Amino acid sequence: MDWEVSAGVGYAALAAVTAATLLIGAYGLRISRTTSDFYVASRTVKPWWNASAIGGEYLSAASFLGIAGLVLVSGADALWFPIGYTAGYLMLLLFVAAPLRRSGAYTVPDFARARLESLPARRVTSLLVVAVGWLYIVPQLHGAALTVSLTTGLPGWVGSAAVVVIVCLSVLSGGMRSITFVQAFQYWLKLAALAVPVLFILFRLGAEGTSWTGNGAAFASGLDPVMADSIYRNVSLSIALLCGTLGLPHVLVRFYTNPDGVSARRTTLIVLGLLSVFYVFPTLYGILGRIYLPELAVEGNADATVLLLPAQIFDGAAGDLLAACVTAGAFAAFLSTSSGLIVSLAGVISQELFRGSVRGFRAGTLLAGAVPLGLALLTNTQALAGSVGMVFAFTASTLCPLLLLGIWWRRLTAAGAVAGMLTGALLCGGAIVAGGVLSLSGAAVPVWLEQPAAWTVPAAFAVTVGASLRGAGVVPAGTARFLARLHTPERRVSR
Amino acid sequence: MTAENRPQRVRVTAPSRPGSAPPVFPVARELDEQSEVGEVFLSSLIRSQLRLALVVAGGFGLILLGVPLLLAAVPEIGELAAFGIPVPWLLLGLGVYPLVIVSGALYVRSANRNESRFQDLLDDA
Repeated sequence: MDWEVSAGVGYAALAAVTAATLLIGAYGLRISRTTSDFYVASRTVKPWWNASAIGGEYLSAASFLGIAGLVLVSGADALWFPIGYTAGYLMLLLFVAAPLRRSGAYTVPDFARARLESLPARRVTSLLVVAVGWLYIVPQLHGAALTVSLTTGLPGWVGSAAVVVIVCLSVLSGGMRSITFVQAFQYWLKLAALAVPVLFILFRLGAEGTSWTGNGAAFASGLDPVMADSIYRNVSLSIALLCGTLGLPHVLVRFYTNPDGVSARRTTLIVLGLLSVFYVFPTLYGILGRIYLPELAVEGNADATVLLLPAQIFDGAAGDLLAACVTAGAFAAFLSTSSGLIVSLAGVISQELFRGSVRGFRAGTLLAGAVPLGLALLTNTQALAGSVGMVFAFTASTLCPLLLLGIWWRRLTAAGAVAGMLTGALLCGGAIVAGGVLSLSGAAVPVWLEQPAAWTVPAAFAVTVGASLRGAGVVPAGTARFLARLHTPERRVSR
Repeated sequence: MTAENRPQRVRVTAPSRPGSAPPVFPVARELDEQSEVGEVFLSSLIRSQLRLALVVAGGFGLILLGVPLLLAAVPEIGELAAFGIPVPWLLLGLGVYPLVIVSGALYVRSANRNESRFQDLLDDA
């Protein structure tokens, strides 16, 4: 079957998104000046802007392409992914939003340093944050490779490289402030890019009198493998997604752009709304895909569902136009998430290696982009939602205990936190590597290796708590004062 | 210059407002001095906020967990459909999101209320 969308359409869509991104980024250049601007947009971003920007960054390749692909392959089981992504943000709101904003630190490692009064803790945290960030960027680049090769016929590496180059250019010129504008625009772009084609498709099918669900055939669970350990898998995945959001670097950095804790909460609530609205649409694509593109499941190219569906239903110019629409949205997804990650990683890298100057930030940007590009070129595309899920599991096992216990527990010690982070990293990282090795060698991967969060996350928490209580290190002297700062509302006489 | 935007040390030499209201101790100063009263209020605030967060998270989790449990216990529900869409898909694909938003909104309101009560307590202290 001919998979190619008209190449001209692909080029046009990609060029348009690129141009828009760079233009809006350049507009931000006029406003940013100092290092502070570079890092956190001077804390003057309004909640709806900020929320749109968070949504823009958060909705990555996994959300845009991966969910539809999973729904096509696994049916209702796949719905736990968007639920997990959204509920993870709810956990963020409940446990992290306001306190993290009040901590006053720019990055997660800064938080570790301030809370634990320990430089080694900051170093370990930085290492993990950078590792997580790089691992999260790689699926975005894979998604870009898929999109570009599918829609323009260019080799995949062009797509990956293009994303890195465009993002670095945009970041280097404007820093965080320009990124905020770009990200906010991209949420709405992504939403429209998904919504418009699928609405057209539904109208068309409705006008023809065809049932869009194939008279219920789309939901037949005959397509789904019903596994005995499906419950473990869903539980472990949910834990990974719920706890993993808490530690994603590009998510947490956005809190610092709020003026105070209360507005941080409000912003997060708006994000929940934006995410909820968005996630309806990839699901629709997946359901339609089960009827109209079932061969994708067999061929293992399910992530292309969103890209291919419009052309499948509409012929000629209409199909091309709608295909261009989703292509633009997909590319926007890769650009925005990679931007967010590269900015936050650049901040961390420049703090550790270059003492946090503007020049150091720029060097950090290049480092933050080059390494994942290398990794992406060396590795093969995996199911996007799955590889992102692994990153969530890793974050849940390492940064989540640090943040949750650091914010809510008085007796955390630096040594305890580091012990917990290293434990989580070793266990979860080991599970992921072991799973990868096994699957490469063709053996079946046991589900507890594939979805390790259910045991690595509790293990990391247990080690952190246990080590702190057992007297590893001392409770930092400024704990009470720091906790006061985290939890005390800022004084606002004007209220 | 304005003191509205950040808690400053207040010089307690005269009432800052007419009507002989007692001078207001900024929160930061109260806690800075690590007075016992401040500590107690703060611990209580942290506990309340944590409890609130755990309750909302737990409630949400239970409801969410309830869906697959319900489906496992009563498989016939899987056969039901509304608008041509099976109920499990409706619940997991659509119904979850209003739940998330409502949980979040309730939390924000309660958390803000906790904090303003805390501020009132300190003002009275």
